Amino acid sequence: MKDEAIYRRLFRTALLIRLVEERIIELYPSDKIQSPVHLSIGQEAVAVGVCDGLKPDDLVFATYRSHGFYIAKGGSLDAMFAELYGRKGGVSGGKAGSMHLAAPEVGLMGSSAVVASTIPHAVGAALSFKRRGLSQIAVAVFGDGATEEGVYHESLNFAALMKVPVLFLCEDNGLAVHSHRPVRQSYRLAEHAASFGIASRRLEEGWDMLAIRQATLEAAAKVRAGEPFVLEIVTSRYKEHVGVGEDFHFNYRTSDGVDAWKRRDPLIVDQKLVATLRPDIEREIEAAVAFAEASPAPGRDELLADVI
Amino acid sequence: MSIAAVKPDQGTRVLSYAGALLETMDAALADHANTFIMGQGVDDFKGIFGSTTGLAEKYGAARVFDVPLMEEGMTGVAIGASLVGDYPITTHIRADFSFLAMNQIINLAAKYRYMFGGLMRCPMLIRIVVGRSWGQGAQHSQSPQSTFAHYPGLTVVMPSSSQAILDMYPAIINRHPGPVISIEHRLLYNLDFTVSPSEHRVPLTSYVARKGSDVTVVATSVMVLEALRAAQYVEDKAGISAEIIDLNSISHPDWDLVAASVRKTGRLVVADTSWLEYGVAAEVCRQLVMRDPGLLRQPPTMLGMAPAPCPTAKSLEDIYYPSQHETVDAILVQVRGDNHGIALPVERSMTEGYKRFRGPF
Ligand SMILES: Cc1ncc(C[n+]2csc(CCOP(=O)(O)OP(=O)(O)O)c2C)c(N)n1
Ligand SMILES: [Mg+2]
Repeated sequence: MKDEAIYRRLFRTALLIRLVEERIIELYPSDKIQSPVHLSIGQEAVAVGVCDGLKPDDLVFATYRSHGFYIAKGGSLDAMFAELYGRKGGVSGGKAGSMHLAAPEVGLMGSSAVVASTIPHAVGAALSFKRRGLSQIAVAVFGDGATEEGVYHESLNFAALMKVPVLFLCEDNGLAVHSHRPVRQSYRLAEHAASFGIASRRLEEGWDMLAIRQATLEAAAKVRAGEPFVLEIVTSRYKEHVGVGEDFHFNYRTSDGVDAWKRRDPLIVDQKLVATLRPDIEREIEAAVAFAEASPAPGRDELLADVI
Repeated sequence: MSIAAVKPDQGTRVLSYAGALLETMDAALADHANTFIMGQGVDDFKGIFGSTTGLAEKYGAARVFDVPLMEEGMTGVAIGASLVGDYPITTHIRADFSFLAMNQIINLAAKYRYMFGGLMRCPMLIRIVVGRSWGQGAQHSQSPQSTFAHYPGLTVVMPSSSQAILDMYPAIINRHPGPVISIEHRLLYNLDFTVSPSEHRVPLTSYVARKGSDVTVVATSVMVLEALRAAQYVEDKAGISAEIIDLNSISHPDWDLVAASVRKTGRLVVADTSWLEYGVAAEVCRQLVMRDPGLLRQPPTMLGMAPAPCPTAKSLEDIYYPSQHETVDAILVQVRGDNHGIALPVERSMTEGYKRFRGPF
């Protein structure tokens, strides 16, 4: 397939993620979505490029900031909005909300609101793939802050020892809540990975979906051959850490970095393509919102179901 | 010491607790291709006190393997493998070390089925061993059954005999839908028990370990053995008939069974391996009072660890845990009152009865 067609496919998914989140921003003041939302606006290219570079049966283990990965992996939009609304028709019947999206039927194996906690899950799935001689790979998606947690270190060590097919994917937006990376980290991710014998790559152009896709294809090929790999992608979080607003007025960061990023963001730059794709995507989103609105709320019958 | 958990009958044999564990681990690996065992030292010459010895050689390093010192990471790895269809068995040679895996156990494993509305499941068996005696001290002796049982989504069992292991483990491994924590007791490992061919005599809930009519003793783990010994003593010396209920499942006990026994006897002793505060003893009382505040004729007696971290000196350890002496006294006081006048057994240190455990670990 020509790059142009691939670009258009990636662009459409990225635009879908952005417009979904913009719809969430519009809906939020109505209190219909009573769930903390961690928006990925600005970071869509990562989810889209990575998921397109994977095979459909490769598994992704994600975080609370996973609207993008849910959509890029192919999760149902209706079920997503109903989940955000806390309705029975939600992907998890309303028990998960925004922070715990999952779509195992398309390979999104859960997302956790405890930072770094799904990283070892990807390693465990990869261990299973290896023992069973499967060609699937597992992807651990996490933020730059998650690499500070002990379990990140444990996971890299074990993955390297066991040589399991796991891709460690770090979305480096430079922030953990309001804290900048240099005050949190005394190490460099690549050197840290290298000390385990794990190869890595840092991609600065995190707005470039094709570059991310290509980097993922290359990394995934190495992983599939049996070597864990750390892929770090620089990106930019436009919105506040949690919630639907902006946060530049709190003065912990300036808008300079985000503004510079926006000047390269294809979803902003390529307005012609946006205009072409937008009407169709908006119809899709409206249908999902309507589905959520019509879906009943869970009640007593669901309260104690699926505990054990 | 050999203690019969069941009445001897056709086909009985003698099997140690460690031997029962080894048999069930072996059978799990043989019967289920998706099952694997990982933990610190599972493939070494000590094999988790003999419960995994030789299995790495028999089933290969892909199915029985040592792990780095990574309690949280290991448990997360187990969850990930379980999510894709494996059945992992993990081990912690002391329960205290499983506290480093609390995040994965409580925040992840316990939640995965519910939090995703039934989309995800992570069945697995986490085997943890409680230490006691020979100076285990503050960090090698804790018994966290009520801690884990507090969290919905976890199933917590405390096998008190070889029979309990033979009956429960095959019903758990690859069959139980969620994560199970089995709290094994180090003092039991080297004991021999009479066992019968498994007919699921010990269910995944509470059962009557000894029938009686004068007093109900609800016990856990090694305290079930202590209660059985005490019951024999009071029967011999005073003709008292004590009913012993092995709570067995801490997360899902058979409260109706407990209540029915207490309704019959009106007297209660709880003998647990941990602290009483916010623990099993407290929960037993809650369950009884909620059913019928009039079930007990008098205040119950509670046996557990003293409310302090565990000391190392033998002289302190002996008074830190309930002795055989105190277990017998508790039953006598319940049935005959404070001035029962019946001679107590001479044995002050409960661990005298477990001579085979000579340490160091
Ligand atoms: C174990 C844990 N500690 C703290 C938090 C609170 N917290 C939520 S998100 C977050 C920042 C994580 O930063 P990063 O991993 O870079 O991800 P990002 O939010 O930037 O996508 C923190 C500290 C948490 N959820 N879990
Ligand atoms: Mg970050």
